[in-house]
Amino acid sequence: MEHRVKLPSSVTSKNVNSYYNNLTEIIKKSSSQEKIKIDFNEVSFIDSAGVIAVNDVRERAEKKNILIEISNVKPTIQKTLELFGKTDVSQLTKPKVTTYFEQAGNTFYNMILFVRDFILLLADSSYWCVVGIFKPRLRRKGETIKQSIAIGVNALPIVGLIAFLIGFILALQSANQLRQFGANIYVADLVAVAMVGEMGPLMTAILIAGRSGSAIAAEIATMKVTEEIDALKAMGIDFIPYLVVPKLTSIIITLPMLTILANFIGILGGAIIGLTYLDIGLIPFFNEVISVLRYKEVSTSLIKSVVFAVIIVLTAVHFGIKTKGGPESVGRSTTASVVASIFLVIFADAMLSLLFYFD
Amino acid sequence: MLEPILKINNFTSGYEDNLVLHNVSLNVYPGETVAVIGTSGCGKTTLLKHIIGLLKSYQGSVHLFDEDMACIDEKEYVGVMRKVGVLFQNGALLNSISVGENISIPLEQHTNLPPHIIEKIVRLKLSLVGLSHVYNYSPMALSGGMRKRVALARALVLDPEILFADEPGAGLDPVTARSLDDLLLSLRNQLGLTLIIVTHEVNSIKRTAEKICYLHDGKVLFFGKLEDALKSEISEVKSFFATQVS
Repeated sequence: MEHRVKLPSSVTSKNVNSYYNNLTEIIKKSSSQEKIKIDFNEVSFIDSAGVIAVNDVRERAEKKNILIEISNVKPTIQKTLELFGKTDVSQLTKPKVTTYFEQAGNTFYNMILFVRDFILLLADSSYWCVVGIFKPRLRRKGETIKQSIAIGVNALPIVGLIAFLIGFILALQSANQLRQFGANIYVADLVAVAMVGEMGPLMTAILIAGRSGSAIAAEIATMKVTEEIDALKAMGIDFIPYLVVPKLTSIIITLPMLTILANFIGILGGAIIGLTYLDIGLIPFFNEVISVLRYKEVSTSLIKSVVFAVIIVLTAVHFGIKTKGGPESVGRSTTASVVASIFLVIFADAMLSLLFYFD
Repeated sequence: MLEPILKINNFTSGYEDNLVLHNVSLNVYPGETVAVIGTSGCGKTTLLKHIIGLLKSYQGSVHLFDEDMACIDEKEYVGVMRKVGVLFQNGALLNSISVGENISIPLEQHTNLPPHIIEKIVRLKLSLVGLSHVYNYSPMALSGGMRKRVALARALVLDPEILFADEPGAGLDPVTARSLDDLLLSLRNQLGLTLIIVTHEVNSIKRTAEKICYLHDGKVLFFGKLEDALKSEISEVKSFFATQVS
């Protein structure tokens, strides 16, 4: 049996699909040794999609032992068939598909590499922080102050506002419950302990991780892709004392200060609720705060903020320096850095809370 | 007999599974101008990064000023790099600081010179590249050609003995590219520099190079004088010089 298919004057990506479907349908229904004639008599133009479709039909037919005859091909069309028919699609390698086990293994391996690199970066930075004191030449002049202003001073309004709202909300939520038991004054205890022990350092660190950690990661990543880090190295300059140490020093100084401020403003937010909602005067409120806060809460707050400071900067530097490729990788590194540093800050907070409060 | 300033022997390297350079060997003597040429992706920039120690894992050896760049320690590396200037493809200027501060970085880091002397040296180097007026500019305010010139001033600030230039004319119009080539040549003649230029621009090669190292698929197909390269019967070298209008 013989089938005939006549192609139109123009065979392009716009109309080839209907002919392709028709031909594949015929192939499906045909049995071995049957014949399909594709008539090119009217074809005056064929594009790459048309050629690929015709060749695909040929391959399908060959597999079923069906004869394909292409007839009345004009010389110009023959040239196009030869040009686009040369591509050996079978040579194209398919991307390697990774299994779930491989993905899990890769993730675990990358985590180990992250921990190793983080420890090395911490060791290197700590060394240069100490050595840098005796070698001021290695630092960029005025950079620590500049960074302190960028990380600390410029973050004051947002840290203050968030801390105030957190203290305010904490007091509001607890006031409702404690008032039922006539324990209004304990709102001061709750807000003070929660702010100083937990919320102050944690929320400040999360804000700084989002605000300054992202800026540091983006800066280092951009410097990496624009070869600025390579240029420093080629000038015999180690980028850690030159770029990282000023940022690390300034955040270690400013984050505890911001935390102290956040603690105070948060408690003030609670005091506003005490004053307006529970009729507790500011003086009794703050007397209660002072009586409940022990040395342990205050020192824990400061120790946490220093640990968080180190985590934020080193995570940002780590992701920044690992950046490869073009400008789009800067965005990826920045996002990864912020996610990782917020996770690590919360994880470190949990560990430190266990360490300090689990008797 | 002069000793080579740069010795590369049976050098093989690559990224992960792909070998980029195979058995590369060449010697560069003081005062020579060598153009490392080849088509895009042949391994020119990778070779340059290995020579200046930015990439380290490889087989074979790279000796720069008689120091083995594979096992050099941090202190020796700094010592070697003080004698080396590198002009990166995009200039690689630090955008967060001014032009003057960019050029003064190596002086501040590697010398004990007082600030006013450093400033004078920086202004001298800027005038050498014809840009004495941009001292206080931000690198972001400069055109591509100016950025390259400033980067050249920074590369020259410690009076290096050897200068590596990665695609100095890339992204520049022909007039600016030519003036940068002329500047490199005049600096070489005035300062007695050894120049290693990574490029694929034939016009620039013909103007500047004395020797040619032709890389193809990571292998050295030709290493010798420019005149011999122009007469070479190696098909790749021949077509490289033939395809671009001089």
